[in-house]
Amino acid sequence: MKPQLNEQQLNELAKDLDAIRDEVMADVGERDAKYIRRIIRLHRTLEIGGRVMMPFGFIPPVFAAAVASLGIAKIIENMEIGHNVMHGQYDWMNDPSLHSQTYEWDTVCTGDSWRRTHNYEHHTYTNVIGKDRDYGYAVLRLSDDVKWNPLHLFQFANYLMLSVFFQWGVGLHELESERIRRREIKLSDKKAFLKDFFRKGGRQAFKDYVFFPLLTFPVFPVVLAGNVSANLIRNLWSSTVIFCGHFTEDAETFSEASIENESRGQWYLRQLTGSSNFTGSKWVHILSGHLSHQIEHHVFPDMPAHRYREIAPRVEAICHKYGLKYNTGSFGRQYWTVLKRIGQFSLPDRVRARLPAQVA
Amino acid sequence: MLSTMNTRAPLRWLGKQLFNREDPGAFFDPLLAALNPMWVRGYVPARLQDVVDEARDTRSFHLRPSPRWQGFEAGQHVNIIVEANGVRHHRTFTIASSPRQWERDGSITLTIKRLPGGRITNWMHDNLRGGEIVGVSEAFGEFDLPEAEIPLLYIAGGSGITPVLSHLATLANRDFRAPVTLLYYVRSQADVIGAETLYALAARWPALTLKIFKTEEDGDGALLNDRHLDAVPGIRARQVYLCGPKGLMDLAGNLLSQFGIRESQIQSTFFSAPSAVAADTPLGGEVTFGKSSKSVESGGDAPLLEIAEAAELKPAYGCRMGICHQCSCRKTSGTVVNRLTGKPSGPGEETIQLCISVPQGPVTVDL
Ligand code: FES
Repeated sequence: MKPQLNEQQLNELAKDLDAIRDEVMADVGERDAKYIRRIIRLHRTLEIGGRVMMPFGFIPPVFAAAVASLGIAKIIENMEIGHNVMHGQYDWMNDPSLHSQTYEWDTVCTGDSWRRTHNYEHHTYTNVIGKDRDYGYAVLRLSDDVKWNPLHLFQFANYLMLSVFFQWGVGLHELESERIRRREIKLSDKKAFLKDFFRKGGRQAFKDYVFFPLLTFPVFPVVLAGNVSANLIRNLWSSTVIFCGHFTEDAETFSEASIENESRGQWYLRQLTGSSNFTGSKWVHILSGHLSHQIEHHVFPDMPAHRYREIAPRVEAICHKYGLKYNTGSFGRQYWTVLKRIGQFSLPDRVRARLPAQVA
Repeated sequence: MLSTMNTRAPLRWLGKQLFNREDPGAFFDPLLAALNPMWVRGYVPARLQDVVDEARDTRSFHLRPSPRWQGFEAGQHVNIIVEANGVRHHRTFTIASSPRQWERDGSITLTIKRLPGGRITNWMHDNLRGGEIVGVSEAFGEFDLPEAEIPLLYIAGGSGITPVLSHLATLANRDFRAPVTLLYYVRSQADVIGAETLYALAARWPALTLKIFKTEEDGDGALLNDRHLDAVPGIRARQVYLCGPKGLMDLAGNLLSQFGIRESQIQSTFFSAPSAVAADTPLGGEVTFGKSSKSVESGGDAPLLEIAEAAELKPAYGCRMGICHQCSCRKTSGTVVNRLTGKPSGPGEETIQLCISVPQGPVTVDL
């Protein structure tokens, strides 16, 4: 159901949300700088610890510890540091190593590509069909907007593959392979992108699969296996978090025409209706880069993310005030709806219509 | 190994592959900073040895930069990097001590006056104490010492004395024989910066003639005028160094040309911490694009992104509404107002979003 707000309500919605934003941004300072620096220290410690322990991974408990340490390091770097820094959440600190436009993260996708496809396209055109390609990552059918075809029957397997190789999938996102297949664009249009992709992908593969194993040559199979596992953990976790943020239930979709001359209120509304949160302990939030607060993140993408936890009750109250759904639930429940949704949309519409419990 | 990582090419290349950054050594900074802040690689750290009162509202900060700092010439400036309330600030100050002092004990002195309304100078006075660490840039600036032994005239005002102190100490050490005259303009005796150094120099170095004018205590005659210049023997043959507030420099320039002194004989410099524009300054102002050395006038509430595009530059942008930070770029000086919050920025170097930043007075951006 499309939430209907009249112009006056939209203006008030914008005012209410702006008030939160102004209040928090005026308060941003020392505490936030300390927070992110602490997280960065934790990341460095875990990464160094993981790399140092890995060659001793022939002792099974050490292997487990090393993989966990390196895997969690990568998760923290990608989610709580990289993603958030690149959104400009810490630009105000004026620290060149935390600058949104030059930060480069520890994953295959280049920072530049991510800044274009995610920070700009996805966050500006959230849920606008045809402009927001994060919607199903152009690989999965997650709404009626995509016509069913028999290949969709296998999309669950596709989803698993996407999760396992998530960093490569995200890295290739900007290739827009679906548009190349449809012959809307040519592969040669993407030369510059591919060059960057191979450079960065090569760099990541070299580090984890060549350099560190060779450095510890006699035990290289252990190190190689450990590094693969750490990357796998990160891939599974980050893809799961991201799917829980957007694909739990039918999000409202918008057409390109409808967002022309959009007011701030309409923009806020679009952000609120397309995201979902999940609950959890402090560490679940940190490891998800606070994308567990996807709703708050979409409304205030450049606010230091650990603040989302603090403002969440107020955002929820605003949603209730305007009769908007504030989609939240436990991690398990939200993930279950994602899986159901992937499964159900893999079926032809006729079959799906007969399923007992509709997702949306 | 850490120090070589920034200098040796193959290691540097490897570091880039492993740490995804141009300055791989700085990857460890967050840990190093916790162990010993003098070990960081991202900037040159300097330890504050002590802070002493120098004159009214003025303190001298004695710093000892890490050994990899490359030194300076008398009269040069450095940028100091301090972190206040989580935000990193850069401010330019002139080194008041001589290179000789640095060679002897590795220390430099910055003499800094509180600026009324200046956020950082006041913060430094209130918060920096001995033992603390700040960052320093390499030295820059061309207020060079004379190469030959020729008669010199220094005209300095207020805190503009700092490069002159460095010059004079260096010349005295060199046993410079040609006559040197300093005309120093301050409000009152309490405002004399480097008084001890100056009197000691005058006592032991016969070439120096020191004249201090206290404009508030000594009446109108103490303001710079042609009689002061007349009293300088052989003024036409002197090389002149000017350093002080703009009003004094302009006045000195006029008078000197009346005395027939050529532009080429005069060198001037002045760096004071930039201060915020008055809150009621109208929006708009001259925008200088540093990298492309273009400069345009802007008016009203046009944001920098549009101003840059009108000047035929092509800065990166995305949403044009302040969300995506694609347009983030360095502002090197000036104040901008954030369109979304209506709040003015600080006057120093920092990152801003072009699409929502409106100049308030003259602004320089790195485009
Ligand atoms: S263009 Fe998106 S923040 Fe300026």
